[in-house]
Amino acid sequence: MDSTATSDHDAGGIGRRQLLSAVGGSAVAAALAGCSTLLSDGESADQGGQSGDGISDEPIQAGLLTFTRGAPGVLGIQAQRGAELAVQRINEQGGIGGQREIELDVVNEGSNALDSYNQFIEEGKEVTFGPISSGTHSQIAPEVEKNEVINVGTDGTVTTLYEETVPDPTYSFRFQNYDIMEVVTMAREAVERIGADNISTVAGVNPGYSFGEDEMQVFTQAIQQLTDAEIVYEGFPELGASDMSNHITSINNEEPDVTFSSLWGGDVTTFVRQANANNMFENTTVFGTTLYSAAGDVPGDALAGTDIYSGSRNYYWGLPALGNWQPGRELFDAATQQEGVTVPTAHYMSGYGAVTAWATAVEKAIDLLGTYPSQEQIAQVLEGHGFFTPAGYHNMAEDHQGASNSFAGQMVYDDDLGAARLDDVNTYAATETAPPPGVTGSDWLESWSA
Amino acid sequence: MAVTPTAALVQTLNGIQFGFILFMIASGLTVILGILDVLNLAHGELFSIGAYTAIGVFGFIIGVVGPPGGGIVGTAVFLFAVIAAVLITAAILLPVGTVLEAVFLRQIYDRDQVYQLVLTFALLLILLDVKKFIWGDSSLRTDAVYSAINTIPTSELVGLNYPTYNVFVILVGMASVVGLFWFFERTKTGRIIRATAIDREMATAIGVSTDRVFTLVFALGAFLAGFAGAMAVPPTAATLEMGTNPLVLSFVVIVIGGLGSLRGAFVGALLVGVIRSWMITLYPPGEIAAPFAIMALILLVKPEGLFGTWGETA
Repeated sequence: MDSTATSDHDAGGIGRRQLLSAVGGSAVAAALAGCSTLLSDGESADQGGQSGDGISDEPIQAGLLTFTRGAPGVLGIQAQRGAELAVQRINEQGGIGGQREIELDVVNEGSNALDSYNQFIEEGKEVTFGPISSGTHSQIAPEVEKNEVINVGTDGTVTTLYEETVPDPTYSFRFQNYDIMEVVTMAREAVERIGADNISTVAGVNPGYSFGEDEMQVFTQAIQQLTDAEIVYEGFPELGASDMSNHITSINNEEPDVTFSSLWGGDVTTFVRQANANNMFENTTVFGTTLYSAAGDVPGDALAGTDIYSGSRNYYWGLPALGNWQPGRELFDAATQQEGVTVPTAHYMSGYGAVTAWATAVEKAIDLLGTYPSQEQIAQVLEGHGFFTPAGYHNMAEDHQGASNSFAGQMVYDDDLGAARLDDVNTYAATETAPPPGVTGSDWLESWSA
Repeated sequence: MAVTPTAALVQTLNGIQFGFILFMIASGLTVILGILDVLNLAHGELFSIGAYTAIGVFGFIIGVVGPPGGGIVGTAVFLFAVIAAVLITAAILLPVGTVLEAVFLRQIYDRDQVYQLVLTFALLLILLDVKKFIWGDSSLRTDAVYSAINTIPTSELVGLNYPTYNVFVILVGMASVVGLFWFFERTKTGRIIRATAIDREMATAIGVSTDRVFTLVFALGAFLAGFAGAMAVPPTAATLEMGTNPLVLSFVVIVIGGLGSLRGAFVGALLVGVIRSWMITLYPPGEIAAPFAIMALILLVKPEGLFGTWGETA
C-alpha cells in the first residue's frame, strides 16, 4: 500500500521517453495514456513501427452498452463520456492504425440489454464495450463467446463472471477492477485506518440485489480474515430506496466499529443525508466501495461531520502524480468539459479504459502482423496485454480480468471543486487485492489464514 | 440482535413516519377507487410529478423566506413556508388531475374495468415521458428543506436522537388525516361525494352532477398524490422511477384496509409502515416480503379488507 496526498504532484514518476516506449510508441497509445502533449514536443510517435499499409480506411463500428438514463445513469453516463473521450483521442490521431476511425454507437442498457447487444452484432459491430450492470454482464458474456466478437466490459464487476458464468473466455474481457478487488481494497483500508485490533464489530448496508449481496459476502470473508470482527447487522435496501432510516437506526443501535456499504449513485446521497441527520457517524465509521460515485451529487452539508472512506476502483483523478506532467489532471479537465460530468469518477475510467485496452491491443497486433488483425488475433493480444491510461498502468490478465491499482481515501466536500473529493488517498497494488489468475476469490481469501 | 428500548422507539417512529407518507399516497388512490371505481395505475406518476414540482416550489419559497431564523418566530415562519410550498405543489396537481379525468377517464367509465387499467397504464407511460421531457433523465433533489428543518431541536429536548424532519412528517401526516376525515364527514362537498359513492343514481336524481363530482374526486386524488410527493422528496431525490414502489405499496395498503376505504387506508398504511420497520430491524431480508405477507394474511382472514369498501363512513 502506498499513501499519497492528492495535493502531492511531485511524487516520483517516469520520464517521457521511458513512458513513450512503455505505452507502445504509437500515437494512439500515447494519446490514450494522456501524453499527446509530449508528441507535440517533437518526440517521434512511431517507435513501435505502427503502419497503416494494407489497412482500409473504413470506419470501425463499435457499440457501447451503458445506462444513459434513470438512477443508474449516474454511473452509465460517466462510462459513456469516458468512452467518447477515448474514441475522440483515437480519431484525432487518425484512427486505429492511422487509418480507421471509430464510430461509437451508444445504447441504453435497459431491461432489454441482451436484445440491444444482439442488435449490435446484427449490425456488424467489430467490437462492443459495456455493460455496467453485473446482471447484464452475466447475460451477455456467454453470447460474446458464441458470437466471437470482442467485448471489453466496462463494469459488470460480479465476481462469478469468469469463475462460473464463462470460466474459460476467449472474446470476453473486463477492464475495471472487479468486486473482490474493490471489496478487499476497502477491507484493507478499514484495517489501515482503524487498526485490526480496533475492529470487533461490523455492519453492512448494501443494495438489495446480487451486486450488494456479493459485495457484503466478500467483505465479510475478507474482514474476518484480517480481524476477529463479528457481523452485527446486514441491511439491503432496494435500489432507489427513499427511506433508509430503519437501517440507520439499526446501526445506531449496534454501534459497529465499521459499517461497510456498496451503495452507489443517488442512494449514497440519500443514505449519507439521512445518516447524518440521525447522528450515525458518531457511532461508526463507514467504508464503501462505490460511495465516491456520488461525488457530484452529494451536497456539502450532508458530508459535514461524517466519517466516510470510499474506494475509487482503478481511477482517482490526479493520481498517479507524475511530477510536472499530469495526465490525470488533463483527463479531469477534458472530462469536466463534457456534458453531465461534474467530476470524473471510476466509472468514467471504466469507459475510457475499456476502449483503451482494446485500441492499444489492436495497435499492438497491427504492429506485429503488419495488417489489420482478426477477432481471434486481437483476443490473443489482449490476454496479458499491458497498457497505460491517465490512471496509470493496467494489465489485462490471462484470465481476461483487468488488474490495476486501487485507490481509497476519506470522502470530503471540496467547496472550490463544488463536489466531493477523496482526501489522504491510499493506493493498493493489484497483487494486494486480486487473486492470482486461476484462483477463485473465495479460495484466495480462505488461503490468507494459512 | 438485541434492540435497546431507545432503538425500539426510534424504529417504531420510523415506521409511523413511513406509514404517514404511505397514507398520503394511498388516500388519493383509495378515494378514486372508492368513488370512481377506477384503479388508477398512473397515481404513482402523480406522486412523482409532485416530488419534481416541489423541488422548484421549495427553491422559490425558501429563496424568498431564507433559512430558519433564530427564535420561535423565525422557526415558525420557515415551517409555515415549507407547508405553504407543499400545499402550492399539491394545488398545481389539481388542474393536472382535472384534465386527465375530463379528457381521458370520463370516456371509459361505462366500459369494462380492463379498459380503465389499460388507459391508466397508458397514462402512466405518458406521464413518465412528460417528466423526462420537462425535468430530464437525471435525479433532482432539494437541499434547502431537510437539513434546515433538522437544525430545529425537537426530539433532542426529550433525550431522543431522531431527525426533526421525520417528526414534521408525522405531525403533517396527522393533520392531513384529520383534515381528510373532516372534509368527508363534515363538509357539504364531502357528503355529496360520499352520497355519490353510495348510490350514484340516487345522487343524480336529487340533482348532483356526477360528472362534476368525479372530476373533483380525481383532482382531489391528484392533489393528495402531489402533497405526498412534496412531503417525501426532501430527504431523498426525485427520480423518474420513484412512482413505482409507492404505487405497489399503496395497492397493498388499500387491499389491507379495504378497497376504497379511507379509514382502512390509514390503518393499513400505519400497519405496513410499522411492521416493515420492525422486519428490517429483526430480519432485514424480509423488508420487501413483509407487507405482502400481511396482505395475504388479511385476505385469507377478511377478504374484503379490514374496513370493507367505501360507504356510510369514510
